[in-house]
Amino acid sequence: MRAGENADRNPVWVWLRQVAVMTIKEFPQLVRDRPVFAYILFIFTLDIIIAAGQSVELNNAKVIINDADQSRLSRELVYRFRAPYFDVAETNLHPDTALEWLDRGAATLLVDIPPDFSEALSRGDEVALVQMQIDTSIANVGFLAASYGSRIVGGLSQEIAADRLSTAGSVPSINNQRRVRFNSDINESWFSSISELLAVITVACIFLPSVAMVREKERGTVEQLLVSPLSPFQVMFAKVFAMMIVMLIGTVVSLFVVMQPLFDVPVRGSIALFFALTGLYAFASAGIGMLAATFARNTGQLGMLLMLIVFPIILLSGLWVQLEAMPAWLRQIMDLTPLRYFIDIAYGILLRGVNLNIIVDSVLKMTAIGVVLFGLALWRFRRQFSS
Amino acid sequence: MKLKRVLVVAQKEAREIVRDRIYFALAFLLPVVLMLVFGYGMTQEVQNVPLAIVDLDRSAQSRDYAYRFIESRYFDFKGYVDSVRAAEPLLLDGDARAVIVLPEHFQERLGAGLPVDIQTLLDGTFTYRLRTVDGYIEAINQAVSGELQTRYLVEQAGLTVERAQLALQPLRVETRYLYNQELREIWSIAPGLVMFVLTLTSPLLMALSVVREKETGTIYNVYASTITRAEYLAGKLVPNVTVSFINGSVLVLMAVWYFGAPLKGSVLFFLGAMFVFVVWATSLGLLISVMVRTQMAATMITVILVMVFVMQFSGLMIPVSSMTGANYVIAHLVAPMHFNDIVTHTFLKGGGFVASWREFAALVVFMIGFLVFGYLLFHKRSAT
Repeated sequence: MRAGENADRNPVWVWLRQVAVMTIKEFPQLVRDRPVFAYILFIFTLDIIIAAGQSVELNNAKVIINDADQSRLSRELVYRFRAPYFDVAETNLHPDTALEWLDRGAATLLVDIPPDFSEALSRGDEVALVQMQIDTSIANVGFLAASYGSRIVGGLSQEIAADRLSTAGSVPSINNQRRVRFNSDINESWFSSISELLAVITVACIFLPSVAMVREKERGTVEQLLVSPLSPFQVMFAKVFAMMIVMLIGTVVSLFVVMQPLFDVPVRGSIALFFALTGLYAFASAGIGMLAATFARNTGQLGMLLMLIVFPIILLSGLWVQLEAMPAWLRQIMDLTPLRYFIDIAYGILLRGVNLNIIVDSVLKMTAIGVVLFGLALWRFRRQFSS
Repeated sequence: MKLKRVLVVAQKEAREIVRDRIYFALAFLLPVVLMLVFGYGMTQEVQNVPLAIVDLDRSAQSRDYAYRFIESRYFDFKGYVDSVRAAEPLLLDGDARAVIVLPEHFQERLGAGLPVDIQTLLDGTFTYRLRTVDGYIEAINQAVSGELQTRYLVEQAGLTVERAQLALQPLRVETRYLYNQELREIWSIAPGLVMFVLTLTSPLLMALSVVREKETGTIYNVYASTITRAEYLAGKLVPNVTVSFINGSVLVLMAVWYFGAPLKGSVLFFLGAMFVFVVWATSLGLLISVMVRTQMAATMITVILVMVFVMQFSGLMIPVSSMTGANYVIAHLVAPMHFNDIVTHTFLKGGGFVASWREFAALVVFMIGFLVFGYLLFHKRSAT
């Protein structure tokens, strides 16, 4: 008897080897399906680049300014509507034409400076009014245009006031000195590239293993697996484990080939911790897909079921929408998604440079949700195939 | 192309959709549920921002100042903190997104008519929220500062309140919001969601319906039969377009009746544009299905494409006017952006064909292009 044979019969060893074999089987399946391979390549590179280039900031919003006053002060005001927020498209249009521009969407903002503007200012016995008309059919753009527009007018107003009051001695004022933590240059691509990375990991982890699972169910190959000496847990675990490895490789590529060199996204915390928790997150989200897979009989059903789950998760877990601004019932549902916690974890480690102590709460909750999802999926999976 | 044969395929396809009860239910339920969830959830407003305050002055006036933030609905006051050092951990783990620091001698200096610098520390991880929060703080600070100055001028210089206000704010802006006078967010979100949900749901139905036949092998029956490519594809498109168009109509009704968005423009034009869009979305599914062999690939590619279209380029989440470079060009090359334009115009601006014929023409071009491509790429023999 050789010494190795004992080790071969060790149940733990056998179990691990079975899982390993099953895991390895998944890779050729992924790579051989070329469209799926192309998909994985796309989500971790080009897709991140697209998202990182996006901005929700007001950018060269088209303004029409009708300056009926044509004084030094009115021209000063016109001058202040400028890049990066605004771009004066036209001045002194006929009011009807100007409104038609707004109607067509050719301009967002129409500013009217009345003829007695500078006169009213120099007399100083009444407020000089500037009128703004804003296209708010796209609410977020309209809101930003309104707020930046009033800031420009407000700023000029303050300067004029300060100028006059300076002769009258000092006046108290409260000045706000702003300091931005963790992203002092307010680099939008840091936020949007990380956000997109989390989104694509979520989609891939929920979809890929569960579709693979249902495919085996549809084709009957899952029965083959189940009459083999493998436990349902091993079958499921192997699928997800393979997925997790693919996701980790993808994240490495994304972070070090795309995000760091192109957009200077920092890694301020422990990179090992980040990858460990990304792996954990891959498991937790795969649990959602696996549970859904036990409810679906074919890929069509599963595809729709997952769409129902995935899009709300991606949009409403805190990446696109601020959780605190949502209705309470919806927020409570979102508290059950692993992504909600992984957002804290990922941004925490990458941008805020936190250690495990600070995010331990999120890590525990994410793990607990993952375990419950997997447990439920396994239980249903077993029940379906034991009869 | 014989109509009869198209109808036979269509009938078979329709039966297949109806027979799978769960699939059938989901096909109609999915858009409605997504519309409801996003209608309630998709707000770009920022409020209840967790806030901590460091009050180093502990005077009546500094407490008054802090209170203006505490009572604001935009902030969710998490409590006073003793020092800036003690406030940093709150920012680190997200318990506070903003910290306001009021310096010592706050009251004393203001009483003496001197300027005071307060400090705000903001969490910069979520950039777009940061700007809004910064705007809120600035606005409240300006308001308090203005009141203080008015009172000072009234007491010290003996001006009337009106004169004091005029001296402090000689210039004012009067704002009118067009098309959405009360700035109701749901008015622009709900119509946009019609585009959004249709883009998400329509392509998948079609993509799976062709690839399923490839995977199960029933497609060989089609290859072997006398039916032409055009007849087969048309037969596949009809039931799927019908399902999506019904869904679209339900979404419009939900936007108007449930979420209260106004449909000011021509309903007929809108339905026409929606039909063209739905055919485009369905042929996107067709195009994907002829290029892949497995349902897994079809699902993954459909999902990522619609996600990129709808979230990055449709103009609903990220305004097209803010895009630069390649992204601005790409946005114009995808149909959802043009349909989103039509949606905003017809719902809120009361437009019709005259206002949106360019976008409509673009949609028609996209639709025809995708149909032709799908047709050309679909062969009655598999490539291998």
